Amino acid sequence: MNDLYIGVDIGSVSINIVGLDDSKDMQFKLYKRNPGSPVEVVKEGLASLNKKLKDRFKIAGVGVTGSGRQLIGYILGADIVKNEITAHATATIEQVPDVRTIFEIGGQDSKLIVINNEIVTDFAMNTVCAAGTGSFLDHQAERLGVEIEEFGDLALQATKDVRIAGRCTVFAESDMISKQQYGFTKPEIINGLCEALVRNYFNNLVRGKELHPRFVFQGGVAANAGIKAAIEKEINDEVIIPDNHDVMGAIGIALLAQEEMREKDEPSSFKGFSITHDNFETSSFICEDCANECEVIRIQANGKTIAMTGDRCGKWASDPRDIDVKDETSA
Amino acid sequence: MKVSFPYMDNPVLYYKLLDLLGHDIIIPPRPTQHTINLGVKYAPEFACFPLKVLMGTYLEVEKMGADTIVTSGGHGPCRAGYYGKLHQKILDNAGLDVDIIVFDAPKDWRPFLQNLKKIKLDNSWFRVMSVIRTAYTLAHSMDRIEKLIHKNRAHTLEPREVSDAWEEIQQKYMGIENRQDIAAVEKWARERLAGLEYNFPTPDQRIKIGIIGEIYVVMEGSTNNDIEEMLNELGCEVERSHYISEYIDSHLVPWKWKEYQHILDKADNYLEIMIGGHAKRSIGHIVDYKERGFDGVIHLKPFGCLPELVSQSLLDRVSEDLDIPILSLSIDEQMAKANMLTRVEAFLDLIKQKKEEEIA
Ligand code: SF4
Ligand code: SF4
Repeated sequence: MNDLYIGVDIGSVSINIVGLDDSKDMQFKLYKRNPGSPVEVVKEGLASLNKKLKDRFKIAGVGVTGSGRQLIGYILGADIVKNEITAHATATIEQVPDVRTIFEIGGQDSKLIVINNEIVTDFAMNTVCAAGTGSFLDHQAERLGVEIEEFGDLALQATKDVRIAGRCTVFAESDMISKQQYGFTKPEIINGLCEALVRNYFNNLVRGKELHPRFVFQGGVAANAGIKAAIEKEINDEVIIPDNHDVMGAIGIALLAQEEMREKDEPSSFKGFSITHDNFETSSFICEDCANECEVIRIQANGKTIAMTGDRCGKWASDPRDIDVKDETSA
Repeated sequence: MKVSFPYMDNPVLYYKLLDLLGHDIIIPPRPTQHTINLGVKYAPEFACFPLKVLMGTYLEVEKMGADTIVTSGGHGPCRAGYYGKLHQKILDNAGLDVDIIVFDAPKDWRPFLQNLKKIKLDNSWFRVMSVIRTAYTLAHSMDRIEKLIHKNRAHTLEPREVSDAWEEIQQKYMGIENRQDIAAVEKWARERLAGLEYNFPTPDQRIKIGIIGEIYVVMEGSTNNDIEEMLNELGCEVERSHYISEYIDSHLVPWKWKEYQHILDKADNYLEIMIGGHAKRSIGHIVDYKERGFDGVIHLKPFGCLPELVSQSLLDRVSEDLDIPILSLSIDEQMAKANMLTRVEAFLDLIKQKKEEEIA
């Protein structure tokens, strides 16, 4: 039996799971867009990983990253739970050791990571403004009746430049419609949109920072040739798209799990594949015991409360229990 | 007359000042999401975030029965100078009968004394002076303890216990009558904190973070997801660029101003003029932190704040010149804790790596 390190990236628009072996080769990869319930996706993902690899591998470490990392980390019994910036940078540095700049554009957020000598020295992150992320393109692709997968290649067919005012999604949309009416072709408009997205990204995150090569472009949107071309035009240099550019966060956290386990010299705290049969439910309620009015999040496994979090005072987290509260939300 | 005041960090100082004068007081609750929603609803959209939160607090205390609000004015040409007037106008327009009394920096003593008259009740001027002196001592005493907490909470096994002790200490301060009481509470507080369990690393292993930015979002934990606590829990010592006693000394006590001048002077290379708010002080503090061996700085900029937008635009240069990492966070009603934690964690990873590199 060989060792396997699992990396899980819980983002808001995609969930990615990878399995790396001892020599960091990828044995399993799952990229799942628009997941409804993260817990269900992770359960299914792990079940198929188990089916594929159980005869050859045993789980030596589990890492979780992404905006939903705390909760899933708890459910899985992760060995390491870390933010996505560190995870992304770790994966990129492994593949492109002399990287200085990482552009990461995902479905609903985007990042800029600056690296020097394999160390992160600066970063910026946009989680608020949709205009610099993939959802901007999704939205416009739908309006134009173009499949998002074809979007990038279409952009490259443009013969004329057209500038779309893309400060924000709403403006971009009305401007796009009027440019269509002026008679610009679909490829030209799409190219204009790609450039608008990149402009937004640079305005939001780069803000005049001095950037150095080598440049790496990753994240779900990196598959889009139009965006890649627009970035290269903006920086006037070449960008590298790493292998498995869409699951870099998961790879990074798997690598960090491996490192952690080497240092720790303890068995993994992974709860095992039996969790894929458990029934998890997440709900939250507002605690009214004091003026803080915390939103307390409760995780139940097969109807029994196993964890609580979100309380400022720790009275719930330290003693998770089944209580009768009216649920504010259920997921 | 039922008096209330803004909530910033804790209510003790304002409360004691008014209580010792014999006022009937409505203690404002710590701002919650509800407070913020209320403020956002009533305040103009373009207003800066602190103005909105304070608006929410004023509306809440009005509901609780307050008819008078005592507050301190802003300083310099930023919008804080109009806070009182704007809040008053919004309350008037909403048909609420509340009087806001603004104490400004005493450039001109006349309005200051007039305001003082409004809240002096039938106390003698001698008594008023003595109460002010007690409040002044209280501010300094509490800040000494709070600074100790911002350091030591980083090194306890149970940060929560330190926070609980701090609550207890504040309650004790609520009961003081004079300067002897303050000294006694401070002594008790130090013992209470010393009695907890710590695990102090060697000085070169400690990570020290300075928090700079606009005073309200730096001091009021409910607006910044309790960032001090968050950093302490992640094992970092914290120091803020604002403590209320220092604000009083540097803005309200003319003969103390010069003690804080050196912080402003340190910003001279970057900002020559005072642009209002706390921009110059913010930059000065970064220089000061660097000189004192801090590992990083977190800058809090309220949404809609012009002065801090100016300091933010200088941060890249300052960070590079001084070789100190700076993380700038914009604070508004949508700043979710998870997003903030992600940035703070990544920032600390960066700092730790930098530190390792420097030691190696
Ligand atoms: S969880 Fe604790 S801090 Fe939060 S409202 Fe309840 S009692 Fe207060
Ligand atoms: S410093 Fe900024 S946040 Fe504070 S009052 Fe002035 S504009 Fe508003």
